[in-house]
Amino acid sequence: MSQLQARFFTEDKRYIVDDVPFSIPAGSEVQDLSNVINKLLEANNASHSKVEFDFLVRGQFLRTSLSIHMDTEGSYDKTARIWSVEGKAVMTVAGHTDVVKDVAWVKRDGLTSLLLTASLDQTLLLWEWNSERNKLKARHCCRGHTGSVDAVATDPTGSKFCSGSWDKMLKIWSAVPTDEADEVEEPADRPRKKQKTQQLGLTRTPLMTLSGHNEAVSSVLWCDSEEVCSASWDHTIRVWDVETGGMKTALTGSKVFNCISYSPLCRRLASGSTDRHIRLWDPRTKDGSLVLLSLTSHTGWVTAVKWAPSHEHQLVSGSLDNLVKLWDTRSCKAPLYDLAAHEDKVFCVDWTESGLMLSGGADNKLYSYRYSACQTDAGA
Amino acid sequence: MEESSSSSTRSAAQTHKIKEKEPQKGGKKRTKAEEEEEEELFNFKSKSTEEEEEDEDLSDSEDSIFSGLEDSGSDEDDDDEELSDDGDEEGLDDGELKLEQTQQIGIETKKETEETGETEETEGGRTEKAKQEDEYVHDSSDEEDIRNTVGNVPMEWYRDFPHIGYNLDGKKIYKPIRNKDELDDFLDKMDNPDYWRTVPDKQTGSDVVLSDEQVQLVNRLQRGQFGDANFNEYEPQVEFFSRDVMLHPVTNRPADKRSFIPSLIEKEKVSKLVHAIKMGWIKPRRVEDDSRGRYYDLWANEDSSILARHKMHLPAPKIPLPGHQESYNPPPEYLFTDEERALWEQQDPCDRKLPFVPRKFSSLRQVPAFSRFIHERFERCLDLYLCPRQRKMRVNVNPEDLIPKLPKPKDLQPFPTTQSLVYRGHSGLVRSISVSPSGQWLASGSDDGSVRFWEVCSSRCLKTVQVGGAVKSVAWNPNPSVCLLAVALDSVVLILSPSLADRQVVLSSERLLSAPQEADANEGAGPVTWSETEGEELNHGIRLKIQHPKAVQQVSWHAKGDYVASVMPDHSSNLQVLIHQLSRRRSQNPFRKNKGLVQCVSFHPVRPYFFVGTQRSVRIYNLVKQEMTKKLQANSKWISSMAVHPGGDHVICGSYDCRLSWFDLDLSTKPYKMLRHHKKAVRGVAYHRLYPLFASASDDGTVIVCHGTVYNDLLQNPLIVPVKVLRGHEITHDLGVLDVTFHPTQPWVFSSGADATIRLFT
Repeated sequence: MSQLQARFFTEDKRYIVDDVPFSIPAGSEVQDLSNVINKLLEANNASHSKVEFDFLVRGQFLRTSLSIHMDTEGSYDKTARIWSVEGKAVMTVAGHTDVVKDVAWVKRDGLTSLLLTASLDQTLLLWEWNSERNKLKARHCCRGHTGSVDAVATDPTGSKFCSGSWDKMLKIWSAVPTDEADEVEEPADRPRKKQKTQQLGLTRTPLMTLSGHNEAVSSVLWCDSEEVCSASWDHTIRVWDVETGGMKTALTGSKVFNCISYSPLCRRLASGSTDRHIRLWDPRTKDGSLVLLSLTSHTGWVTAVKWAPSHEHQLVSGSLDNLVKLWDTRSCKAPLYDLAAHEDKVFCVDWTESGLMLSGGADNKLYSYRYSACQTDAGA
Repeated sequence: MEESSSSSTRSAAQTHKIKEKEPQKGGKKRTKAEEEEEEELFNFKSKSTEEEEEDEDLSDSEDSIFSGLEDSGSDEDDDDEELSDDGDEEGLDDGELKLEQTQQIGIETKKETEETGETEETEGGRTEKAKQEDEYVHDSSDEEDIRNTVGNVPMEWYRDFPHIGYNLDGKKIYKPIRNKDELDDFLDKMDNPDYWRTVPDKQTGSDVVLSDEQVQLVNRLQRGQFGDANFNEYEPQVEFFSRDVMLHPVTNRPADKRSFIPSLIEKEKVSKLVHAIKMGWIKPRRVEDDSRGRYYDLWANEDSSILARHKMHLPAPKIPLPGHQESYNPPPEYLFTDEERALWEQQDPCDRKLPFVPRKFSSLRQVPAFSRFIHERFERCLDLYLCPRQRKMRVNVNPEDLIPKLPKPKDLQPFPTTQSLVYRGHSGLVRSISVSPSGQWLASGSDDGSVRFWEVCSSRCLKTVQVGGAVKSVAWNPNPSVCLLAVALDSVVLILSPSLADRQVVLSSERLLSAPQEADANEGAGPVTWSETEGEELNHGIRLKIQHPKAVQQVSWHAKGDYVASVMPDHSSNLQVLIHQLSRRRSQNPFRKNKGLVQCVSFHPVRPYFFVGTQRSVRIYNLVKQEMTKKLQANSKWISSMAVHPGGDHVICGSYDCRLSWFDLDLSTKPYKMLRHHKKAVRGVAYHRLYPLFASASDDGTVIVCHGTVYNDLLQNPLIVPVKVLRGHEITHDLGVLDVTFHPTQPWVFSSGADATIRLFT
């Protein structure tokens, strides 16, 4: 069970507690924290009556669990880690037999949350993480891809997820954990016993396979609950209809796409490619090959782009030139900030809901950045 | 008769003597007299000219002037007779007569002066003058010749009469008595100095001696000059007509009317001609036809080359004319200063501006012999001998035009341009790299004894296999359904199964490796031994070991993935190439003869051909017919590497003498194109599987990417354009880039270098 170090401050002199870090379960909610404070106050002052406290974490009211402020990271040591925003590794998810390429949360509310890891071993694992007890359980092993799974994305409702793989396929899976394993047709001559022992969790098969890409799929995302967008090494971005399983539009570029990001606020796609440019696309155009804008400042491949969840014009990008850049699309000539924290290639960037930027790189570090002050907090 | 004649001659002689004396006497007097005469004459002349002007042609009047002088002629009557006899004198002009008469006046006056004596000369002359002047005053032009009144009739009418006319008084004028015979005449001719100027007067029949003035006048007239000596015939002419357009016309006569109306006569003539032409009487002139060879063309068969040679005659070069420097006394500015002289002495003889030093001598006499004369003559002879005999037709070719028109590299995209990723991890130079057929993995073999597997897109090393020896060559199995890597090190070829692919693929490669073992027995004692690995090596993924008798330099897969060829370069043996079959675990030596040091081998991508690159040539063998089909001459000293086009019809060879040769197998056995872009030895060459690209790696640390479009049309030759020089590798130990290979699907190129890195250029 994951524990958090926490200090409690207050302006009200009546409720001051000792300024020492307390170890608190990560899954604690407001009620739990209130109880902790009341207990402490009772210990100091017997006449203390119970008070319901509100908690501010970094200027935000704490509503649910502390773990909302945490993020996950997939890494090349075949594990995924769950980090709290304070920079501590909460949990290490170890189950894959090969490199973890991508991770995604399915749902993060309550004590148990679901997360997905995609790996080079051609499987996706659906994990159930009980934050209260900090216990992790592999619920499903999603098999079906014949290449390394490079990208995974959960749909907005949390009921389905989509994965993109080196085998040029996109697959849609159900994200709802069940207790029954799907039927898998095994090759006859395969030594079944051996495989069974290696399996983690119940096998799950894809609901739907979307094929059409000529090269490896490098990035997938959900535009809305019916549309999946995928970027590939075959120089195209394709938009798929999940209901029918057909392709809706294709945007053709001239270089390999490494990553895409969609912002529901401005309805634009941002793509990062191997030619150092970030391009903005409008996925609604039918002919599709229209680049609205290209942001050029990186000197290496752009490996990650992400739109800000709360800002219409901001996006963050990571590149092989060790830089993370924060862009405002209204000034396309130069980025707002160059975040030069990494000492090696940057592979992924993300935003937290609270507006922090995260970046992970080949220097085995996860950095988080606060936009307003542009300070960095180093992860392990 | 004789006596008389002699006496007469004597007398004549005496008289002559006397006459001779007289002039001598009067010689001194005469000078004065002559002067006076001249004056008189001038006066007279001026008057006579006046008279002439007045009287114009009236010659008769003049005679009247002399009418009073008829007596004077009596002294010389003898001569008159002669005159009358001479018919010649008749032809004289009136002008001449006039002169004669005037002369006569002069003579008479002379005689008078002589008679009057010396003292009275001047006075007498003056009186005479006065008298004459008076005469002239009364003279009139109408007066006839008063000496003879017969008038202007032919004098021969009086031939038979003793007289020749009548004087004013009506008395006969008798002819002078002619007593002179021929002898007298001759003597007279001999003795009389004035004989030549003595003329007979026709009117009176007397002889008249012409004065000097008269003789001069006659001479002038005979020469066609003006009679008056003072007349200037070259007086400045007053021009009345000039080239300037005058305000008033020279003539103001209006144009005639006839100049405006057509001439009737001409019209008549023309109408006659027209009528004649109509009737056919007049025919146009016939044009002579020259074509039938009326004239022989002398130059028709002239050899044009001879003409051309004449035309192209080049004069021998001229010696430049001597200037001031060559002078023995040059102006001081041409003489050398000390500095110039020192400079001249320092300079090379061929660099000198002047071949000599200008020197100054006070006189030409002091100029010494020219020491360089022989030398200079020799040089001149050389010039003449070596001067161009033919005009060189210089063709004006713009060097730009000779460069073949190649498309711009910009239009030939995509091709790798920038370095994107560096794969670091090896500690020795990376000799060989290979990309998996899916394009996801990259295998590299290094001198540090390890084979590493890299993920292409993230440059992460996923796997390191220590094989225990410097890896010479790695080659990924081109069959996408199996995942195997052949590694050549020392004398072993290892087959690795990196298990980086789909489980199905891994299984199928396992199946291929765990082949039926019965082949082993058949093989017996071959040159190679196959063995399966166990334990630690098996865990690392090393599955098979093929032990060779010699060091293996290169491995190369067949496109189907079952056969792998290994190269063991050896000069002395025919066991240089072995082809192994994985599924049956069998090896064979395809060649019985040693045909040179084998450098590299390659399978044809689709057809059963086998390319063997030896030191200088590439041999192509047909594996089915078991014979050599072609031998490509590389024109280079030492082939280092070879790559076969995915279409199979083109081969590129890199050589250690910096060249890259492209062979078109359909075209010739000679290289279609030689590219000499590298500065140092070419170590590796590669074709792209899909894009029309090829690359070459060299020891100068560069990878040169070229565009090479191959057309299906046999008539069109491949288009080869170098598009990019990729730099990035550092040169270590004089080794630059050792191997180059393309990504199977993207236009990316990988290069491995001696600096222990692998670089990806996109």
